[in-house]
Amino acid sequence: MKKRTVALTICAAAAAAALAGCSGGSGSANTQTTAGAAQEAAGDTAAKEEGSTSADLSGDLVFAIWDNNLMEYIDENDMVGKFQEKYPDANIEVEKIKDDSEYWNAMKMRASANQLPDVMFNKPFTLSRFQDYLLDLSDLEAAKNNELAAGYALNGKILGVPMTAGYEYVYYWKDMFQEAGVEVPTTWSQLEEAAKTLQDYYGAENPDFMAIALGAKDEWPDYPFMEFMPALESGNGQNWNDMAKTDAPFADGTDINKAYNKAYNLFTSGVFGKDPLGLGNDQVTALFAQKGAAMLALGDWGLQNIQNGTDDYSQLGTFYLPARDSESDPFRVIVQGDSFMGVTTHSKNPELAKAFVEWFYSEDWYPGYINYVTSASSMTNFPKEKDPILAEADAAQPDMELVMYDGGGDDFQAIQNETAFDYKKLGAEMFTEGFDLQARFDELNTKWAAARAKLGIQ
Amino acid sequence: MNSLAKKRRRFILVSLIIPVFLLVAFVVFPAFDLIRMSFTNWDGYSPESDFIGLGNYISMFQNADLWQSLKNNAVYFVVHLCMIPIELAFAVLLVSKLRAAKFYKSMVFMPYIINGVAIAYAFSYFFSPINGAFDAILDLLHLGMLSQNWLSDPKIVNFVLAFVSLWRFSGYHVILFMAALQSLPQDVQEAARVDGANSWQMFKYIQIPAIMLMVDFILFDNIRGALQVFDIPFVITGGGPGYASSTFTLYTIKTAFTFSNFGLASTMAVAIMAMIVIIYVVQNKIIHGIVLKGGDK
Repeated sequence: MKKRTVALTICAAAAAAALAGCSGGSGSANTQTTAGAAQEAAGDTAAKEEGSTSADLSGDLVFAIWDNNLMEYIDENDMVGKFQEKYPDANIEVEKIKDDSEYWNAMKMRASANQLPDVMFNKPFTLSRFQDYLLDLSDLEAAKNNELAAGYALNGKILGVPMTAGYEYVYYWKDMFQEAGVEVPTTWSQLEEAAKTLQDYYGAENPDFMAIALGAKDEWPDYPFMEFMPALESGNGQNWNDMAKTDAPFADGTDINKAYNKAYNLFTSGVFGKDPLGLGNDQVTALFAQKGAAMLALGDWGLQNIQNGTDDYSQLGTFYLPARDSESDPFRVIVQGDSFMGVTTHSKNPELAKAFVEWFYSEDWYPGYINYVTSASSMTNFPKEKDPILAEADAAQPDMELVMYDGGGDDFQAIQNETAFDYKKLGAEMFTEGFDLQARFDELNTKWAAARAKLGIQ
Repeated sequence: MNSLAKKRRRFILVSLIIPVFLLVAFVVFPAFDLIRMSFTNWDGYSPESDFIGLGNYISMFQNADLWQSLKNNAVYFVVHLCMIPIELAFAVLLVSKLRAAKFYKSMVFMPYIINGVAIAYAFSYFFSPINGAFDAILDLLHLGMLSQNWLSDPKIVNFVLAFVSLWRFSGYHVILFMAALQSLPQDVQEAARVDGANSWQMFKYIQIPAIMLMVDFILFDNIRGALQVFDIPFVITGGGPGYASSTFTLYTIKTAFTFSNFGLASTMAVAIMAMIVIIYVVQNKIIHGIVLKGGDK
């Protein structure tokens, strides 16, 4: 029996080894290696910065991406060949990772193993996480010509150049609005009213109808409400960072409290159809494209997916999510830099990697790419006309106030990790029976204060 | 020791070098490193980590969401455990002279060889609340009133997922039982028949004791599988709504990658190792000591 127990322990260890295998080392030896590699890379950079020209740059680069549209464009337009026309001795390996969630998992593991790609992307909420592994790109023309890059600088360093400017929209079917006698809403209460009217009108005949389509099974699609609405509430793009400075950020009257109360009331009003938690984003996008829903809140990138799902999008329109309470309040719209291209400290050819970033945002490549996707340009030297469908939202709100969204810095993320605060999951939970928002606020405030005390955050 | 014995011993020792090296490199060392990490606050990407003693273990025991996830694992464990006698009965049926037994064997084993993620995707559409095949079948049978929010009702979602798991893994257990049953010596069975043993007696006194090793393995596999279930809830519900269908492994991975707490995730991995061993030993005691009253092994 003892022997068998020992054997079992080994079997169980084998099963657990998979997780350990993924983690890599983290001890002091690793510390030295990482620091050493970073210094070495920095040293290389300094050495090469003097006197290097485009002609003598050579070597291999790994360029890791997750974006399907970018991958398609790279394949169709021979990005590597075009780059080699300018840098004949350079070679680029494009590494496509399934989606951004997998991307961050892979990058975290590779950061600990000194294996980051030469060129990587970041989101606003990952920039601070990877800041120790990214080189300062402030001296690049690409960074200087980017209208958003400087706004996301950390400690005065531009660690990534945003590839696109991201805007969030509510897509809607004009003919469905017209038939139900609904106007495009410009305040939160109008949105609630419009959604209710649409649900009553179309839901009477079609029990599967959704006034607002939301794939809450995937959790992340609730981000227009759960991630951005607190910042829209009083126009504070630094909302997450400010939350890290208080012990009770979820108390009555705070931006997040007001925003989540609005979201909760909308989520529980029945306008998301019979079972939003049973559907994923792909499913609801397809249903919306087939007019099984009247509205869908997604980023500009969502337009391509909707258009792929239908032959006739002549009645498709957009408006910005109206988070304001009354028409006398300013109409605020979130804008954020998206896909921050950065050069990592693990790069063996940092000068070449910087040259690649510079080339990517030059007229040799960027204008073609930005016109291929539906997203807006982030480069002042390559402005792009918005897609007419997306431009409708701008036309409806000519006096809108832009709120530059920050995904949260070190302190916020440390507290978020400590308290396991997952706003997207919280949004999905709001759809469940018996969910008590006030109790959750109280619980979060308690955890938040404890986390700040534990982490010594002032 | 003669020269042949020496040679044989040398051969065995040489043959063991590579497997032992692999075992140490990929199982023993990572396991020890896992235990070491469980006492640190490593975030998964920073070069530094601090030793925090039993902090992670205390935090793990105080984590209500983790306990909820563990309760969900129990649903898979119990459902699969209840199915084991039925799987055994199927195996007995299929090794007997059943018409088209080969066809049934293939059908039973087929789900196991299909990619798990593909199965999970297929079932997420099968149970979809809109255009879902399962609700359509219920409607066809005029049982539409039984329709539920299969993937979003916290009260039933784990049973739906456990059903998918059953659909996938039961065939594997049936095949293992069949392999064990087919390896029984025919002469013993024939002797028992000559002595007048009926089918039940044959089953209880000949077949069951002879396949106890396989029963042990399947029971162990059930514990391991139930505690480590991942792909089915991950793809079908993502562990939601909230943590209603999360499992221990799913929560561990979320802790590591979403909340960047590899130290705590390592603690959970150590806990899962311990649980597998403890539950197996307890289950073994119950089954051999009480149910089978110390039956031969």
